[in-house]
Amino acid sequence: MRNLLQHLIKRIISLIITLFIITAVLYATVMFTPPETRATLFMPKNTSPRMTEQQYQAMLNRMIEKYHLNDPYPVQYFYWVSSLLQGNWGYSPVLQENILSAIVARTPATAELALFSILLFIPLGIISGVIAGSRQHKASDHGFRITAFIATSLPSFILALILLSFFYVDLHWFAPGRATSSISNVINSQDFRLYTGMYTIDGLLNGRPDVTLDALRHLAMPVFTLAIAHWATLGRITRATMVEEMQQDYVTAARARGLPDSRIVWGHTLRNAASPALTSSILSATSLLTGVYVVEILFNINGISSVAVSSMAFIPDASAALGFGIYNVILVWFLMLILDVAQSLIDPRIREAV
Amino acid sequence: MRTSRRFFSRWQNWLGLLLVSMFVVVAIFAPLLSPKVPEDPSAQKAIGRVTRLEPQPPSTEAPLGTTASQYSVYHALVWGSRSAIVFGLMVTIFSAFIGILVGTTSAYFGGFINSLLMRISDAFLSFPIIAGVVLVQQIVTSILYDAGVAFMRVGGTFPGTKGVFFIPENLSAFLTWLQQFDPIPVAFILFSWMPYARLMNTAVLKLKNTEYVEAARVAGVKNFRIIFRHLIPNSIAPVIVMTAKDVGGMVLLQTTFTFIGLGGNSPWGELLALGRDWIISAGGILTYWWVFLPATVALLLFGIGWNLLGDGLNDALNPRTQVLKY
Repeated sequence: MRNLLQHLIKRIISLIITLFIITAVLYATVMFTPPETRATLFMPKNTSPRMTEQQYQAMLNRMIEKYHLNDPYPVQYFYWVSSLLQGNWGYSPVLQENILSAIVARTPATAELALFSILLFIPLGIISGVIAGSRQHKASDHGFRITAFIATSLPSFILALILLSFFYVDLHWFAPGRATSSISNVINSQDFRLYTGMYTIDGLLNGRPDVTLDALRHLAMPVFTLAIAHWATLGRITRATMVEEMQQDYVTAARARGLPDSRIVWGHTLRNAASPALTSSILSATSLLTGVYVVEILFNINGISSVAVSSMAFIPDASAALGFGIYNVILVWFLMLILDVAQSLIDPRIREAV
Repeated sequence: MRTSRRFFSRWQNWLGLLLVSMFVVVAIFAPLLSPKVPEDPSAQKAIGRVTRLEPQPPSTEAPLGTTASQYSVYHALVWGSRSAIVFGLMVTIFSAFIGILVGTTSAYFGGFINSLLMRISDAFLSFPIIAGVVLVQQIVTSILYDAGVAFMRVGGTFPGTKGVFFIPENLSAFLTWLQQFDPIPVAFILFSWMPYARLMNTAVLKLKNTEYVEAARVAGVKNFRIIFRHLIPNSIAPVIVMTAKDVGGMVLLQTTFTFIGLGGNSPWGELLALGRDWIISAGGILTYWWVFLPATVALLLFGIGWNLLGDGLNDALNPRTQVLKY
């Protein structure tokens, strides 16, 4: 127990160091852009056409002064850190809102996508990997490998467009976006309380299964697109580990004792092969949560990845870039913590090492 | 030679090798298969008027039809193979090189250096590659902007330079080069060396306490020589496997970036981007099949080929370390 606490404290310290390094580097990158250019972000969107060059310049200079854009790098970075410590993540001129609220508003959409993708790809990936790996060079193994190769090599945007063409344009089964307009009205109304921001869960919590159903209808295509690639990765890793495990002596011994193959595979080898599969699943979860830009764009979902791209795309937006940086680092840190705990639960050797 | 016999004993490996060599052959003979217009360096060739929007079905002039704006699909497919092979190999080999160096040094010297380098690798891992791409792009643009090159920018108001391309005359050689610079490969290399470093790190950690390395150290062999003569050659097999498997993935990623308009100059990606609005059409998905099917099939075969090759190498080299994509 004390070890665990020590371990956690070590982790938190390393998190703080990583946060410091990443934000310092990101701020330095932002500083590459001259202050005049960065100040244009803060200028009003429509300046009066009668404004002269001098007036514009004067306004620009006021903005530079107001946001300390001309100060040396450590000073600017210090300003940002001190306001962050006071709980102010900074105003993002590109997103036109406080970056913390922008991240909080966009996370549920991405989290919902990630959640359903994970629920789909982890069981399927492990089951198919185990089946293929325990029957190496048989028909089911070849079938799995070919499907997995296609799934890893198929561009997600083409799959997305094919799905849209069949299930949206032709069949009208599913739709892009997050909700139909009539359901959006329900969600935005006074009576509907947003507990999690995920429409599927909130629909149930509010006693409105129609909202949940509609949300699922909109989730089907993006979730399938995301899950299939991660399914292939997880399945291939599980298969490779299973192939290796099945050649171990204890499998031969278990067979000699007359244990049925199904019990050896699901009861013994899977337990030993679970560790790489777990690592792969957590890494997939990380990439699902930090940004699935293409899928969010093609299916018109306003998720977290738009923060990443818009913060840096034309003129760097310091608070947005740094806010996204913090979001990323904390998320990855948290998932790695889960990974470690889960690893030690399935493997007692690691538990003792901790 | 048992390795090569083991490799060639499976038909899957033959298939992988066949697919990859097919793309290599097309890449080498691209100028013969589809000659370029002499004055146009791009991988796209316009057949007919560019203003004509509707994609045209296959004809003698364009064996696989044309995309919107009348670019030949066949031409882009052929030149895309060359671009894909060059890009894929370049990015994976450079990433593997950095990964090998970082992973080996950190494992060999251990202690503080190890934890520092692995922290840095973790920091890179916690960023999605798309943020890396915009980051590198941003740095390049800023340097050029400082030198006085003006860009068309969306968003902000730029009195005087708004919407104008302006290139100063006395630009240094470096900046002129930087103008044609494609940030995608650099960003890809910068954000994909970490798995290789991890792999190498674990492999070298296991090796460095073996007796023969100890013996070399006792005999007074220099660190540098131990690393390059003993540690790297003996633990490189899983890295080679991973490199082969990654080529297809890197090209797929490059295509994706070109498709969403973030650069990358992948001819296959340009092809698919031009076909984007014609995939979904009233007459069903196959009405304009040639705008997306050839490029998709090419990408599929490319990815499957390299993956089969990687799996085959994995079985043949039989590295004890688990090849795992971190």
